[in-house]
Amino acid sequence: MKPSELKSLIIGSLDEKVDPLAAARRMEEEGITFDFSDGFNSKVIDRIFSAPEAVVREIEFVKSMRFIFTRVALTGVAAIILLLVSIFLAEGSLSLNSFLGIGNGYDEGIVYLLTGN
Amino acid sequence: MKEPYRQAEDSELVSASIAGDKVAFGEIMERYRRMVARTVKGMLGDSIYAEDVGQEVFIKLYNSLPEFRGEAKLSTYIQKIAINLTLNEIKRRKRFFSMFLQKGNNEMYEYEIADFDSEERRDATELVNKALMRLEPRFRIIVAMRMLQGYSTKETAEILEVPLGTVLSRLSRAQEQLKEILENL
Repeated sequence: MKPSELKSLIIGSLDEKVDPLAAARRMEEEGITFDFSDGFNSKVIDRIFSAPEAVVREIEFVKSMRFIFTRVALTGVAAIILLLVSIFLAEGSLSLNSFLGIGNGYDEGIVYLLTGN
Repeated sequence: MKEPYRQAEDSELVSASIAGDKVAFGEIMERYRRMVARTVKGMLGDSIYAEDVGQEVFIKLYNSLPEFRGEAKLSTYIQKIAINLTLNEIKRRKRFFSMFLQKGNNEMYEYEIADFDSEERRDATELVNKALMRLEPRFRIIVAMRMLQGYSTKETAEILEVPLGTVLSRLSRAQEQLKEILENL
């Protein structure tokens, strides 16, 4: 088809009186076709169906992190309990002074310790 | 591989795809990829961007299939997704270029980008592509839908969700603009 004929066909296809479906078919017959490149379908399929694997990996990572966090938290709680028990056994109470380690300290001894006099 | 679904109805393919059947979804793509290509490439040109948008159309379709109630035809549903994503891409590109260019130059660069991946041969598809790329986007969509997809003005109005009068007036103005463009090609 000559370029001038093709241009007429393009313009004519937009005419309100022309059947749009027939005009579109005619354009296709004249080689005006649009398609995506080879491997388009497989690329889309890969992108769609590989996504859940990534999500599963992410979920597994979150689960592992939760497990680790629980272990660390339990260990921390056990350490705090042990510390409280040892303070109670050593100081005889769980007061603020006991926590600070000054429960049984003599004032004179502390002044001497700080000033050397 | 795709034989089991060759004769299947769209609704059957949709149900199987929702259940995770790759072959069924592959058949949907096989049926509608050229329709999507006509819309996307008709509006964006034969470029790498069109390929990306085409992929996004089918990914979005797959993710939204559970919401597809079957009230409209599957082709119309896909067409709407294709148009929305293509218009988003045009807007995104305009925003991107407006950061670097003076107002009014956008159309020119849009055309150059769209032509990025094509050779200089003047075959029929190239001619249509070049003409479409020089049309204003609001006319381009109307022309692409009628000229490449064969939709009537009524169908175009329904898919684009605009009044019939708007489609008719844009079609008429698009025709005039296209005449001028083709004279210079």
